Amino acid sequence: MYKSSNPYRPVETEVIDVITETPAIKTFRLQPSEPFHFDAGQFIEFTVPGIGEAPFTPSSNPAEKDRIEITVMKVGRVTGFIHQLKKGDRVGLRGPFGTKYPIDTFKGKQVLIVGGGCGFAPLRSLIYEFFNRLSEFEKVVFRGGCKTPSDFLYRKEIESWKNKGDIDVRLTVDNGDDNWKENVGVVTTILDNSMNIDCPSAIAVVCGPPIMMKFSTKRLLELGFRESNLYLSMEKNMSCGIGKCGHCRVGTFYACKDGPVFSYDKLKNFHTIWE
Amino acid sequence: MKAYFISYENLSNLFSVISNAYQLFVPVKINEKRYITPYQPGTGYTIGEVRTVEPLKAFFFPGRTIVALNYEDSLPDVKKKPYCIAGVKACDLYGCDILDRVFRSEDYTDPFYKQAREETLIISSDCTMAIDTCYCTVFGRNPYPESGYDLNLSPLAKGYLCETGSEKGKNIIEKNSSFFEESDDALLIERSKQREKVKASVEELVNRNTIPDSSEFNGIIERNYNAGIWQDEAKKCVECGACNTICPTCHCFLLYDQKKEETTARFRTWDSCLLKNFARVAGGSNPRASRWMRLRNRFEKKFDYFPAVFNEYACTGCGRCISACPAKIDIRTVLKRLVEHV
Repeated sequence: MYKSSNPYRPVETEVIDVITETPAIKTFRLQPSEPFHFDAGQFIEFTVPGIGEAPFTPSSNPAEKDRIEITVMKVGRVTGFIHQLKKGDRVGLRGPFGTKYPIDTFKGKQVLIVGGGCGFAPLRSLIYEFFNRLSEFEKVVFRGGCKTPSDFLYRKEIESWKNKGDIDVRLTVDNGDDNWKENVGVVTTILDNSMNIDCPSAIAVVCGPPIMMKFSTKRLLELGFRESNLYLSMEKNMSCGIGKCGHCRVGTFYACKDGPVFSYDKLKNFHTIWE
Repeated sequence: MKAYFISYENLSNLFSVISNAYQLFVPVKINEKRYITPYQPGTGYTIGEVRTVEPLKAFFFPGRTIVALNYEDSLPDVKKKPYCIAGVKACDLYGCDILDRVFRSEDYTDPFYKQAREETLIISSDCTMAIDTCYCTVFGRNPYPESGYDLNLSPLAKGYLCETGSEKGKNIIEKNSSFFEESDDALLIERSKQREKVKASVEELVNRNTIPDSSEFNGIIERNYNAGIWQDEAKKCVECGACNTICPTCHCFLLYDQKKEETTARFRTWDSCLLKNFARVAGGSNPRASRWMRLRNRFEKKFDYFPAVFNEYACTGCGRCISACPAKIDIRTVLKRLVEHV
């Protein structure tokens, strides 16, 4: 629930660090001036003062109470201004908004996380959440894909997850290079027996570009995942965050308040969910 | 609900009293059209007749307003007095009811809308005539207010029959009791005759314009989702957004920020789902890239989303979008085509 009495007011926030992830992607480490807690899956509206705001799902550990990180790809007007921000700049945050991953209901189960490109950002916060309480789940598997090896976010961190061995990680790229030792192909090519998952009883969380979510969903259903166990993050034009402004409607839902995380059974009968 | 009688002269007297505490707006007729206008003592107004050109929504949800300044939680209220709007028609009260479901929903309440709604005094009135674009009866509703007002006026031969619809309305009558007289059965009979007459004239228009009844609207969007009707109707659309801005139930808005020296202001303006980039995301993907998809979306929102979520059609039958559309896209024709297309 929104705490401020004015839901359109941003909370004053300081940029405390800027990390360049790839040529087009930066991570911003932020310190809000008021308590600000989110759960994995929820999103925030990030304000560049006087310029405008844009929605992002944080990529940091939800257990971190006074810091929050967002990973931003430069794709449009507001993200262009965000990329110019430096350490010490003052910005604004609104939220958090929307639904979280219902992680408590995943207890005792096998969980598959499928990420594509920029979708790694929200999934990192979910994976931190899993690391916070790993013993509660039977197994956590991560499968991630990007266009090329240089497009990977958090590459070193993902390597460390692999080395720890707590979660089963496999990666793929559409186009490899000489140093790429792993799979080449779209992400659905590594949604296979290597996961060693009991699909009908397992949970899947998919986040990435619409086309990747569409084909991953198709593949996972073929493998026997249940529609109600398949969680998708809807990328829509979220603005107000409270289901009023109308921009992010999907069927009978607003992605900003009824989502952005939806189980597939809730969405499957709506038109244009992949567009 | 107790009814009172108030003479024409005493209504003007009441308006003068109300003007002390409220910014009073009344419908004023110019060239056969009625406009919501600030009340000026001594000048004319038209309480009855039919809806105004503008919908009521701007009083609660202004076309452009500041919703945040810097990082401050509260905003200065620039309004000196709350609004009182007189002569509001039943279709506009229904429009408020729809907007209430959006802005005063249980999960998230819009504080600006809520405050404006609570402090505004609404003096509605019966329609005493219909115009060609009226079709409120299609939805089983009547051209006279039945709820959602503080006071309602029914214009009659010698004055108005006045009914209270809220505590606020009751207080107005109690404090100004010298302007009111007890009503009698004859007045009530006069009113019900007039109401029936006006309702019959709306029904006659509905018949003449062969508009289907809303009982036939169930599932028309889904059934016609890929029908050629949308492309056909949208051919004429010039994407001006007038149908949205003039609509008493359209609530979509855009938030945008501006900076002047050290002050950052966040504005909220009416937005239009007919405009190309309404649903576009920053990455470039647009779920409604073609104009016909956006026209369909407007109907989907009103005749599919609202009944599914709130069990009501988000259309008041006011006919404003018909009058406003420069391309002459007629919601009645579209509904008829959707109902008839198998």
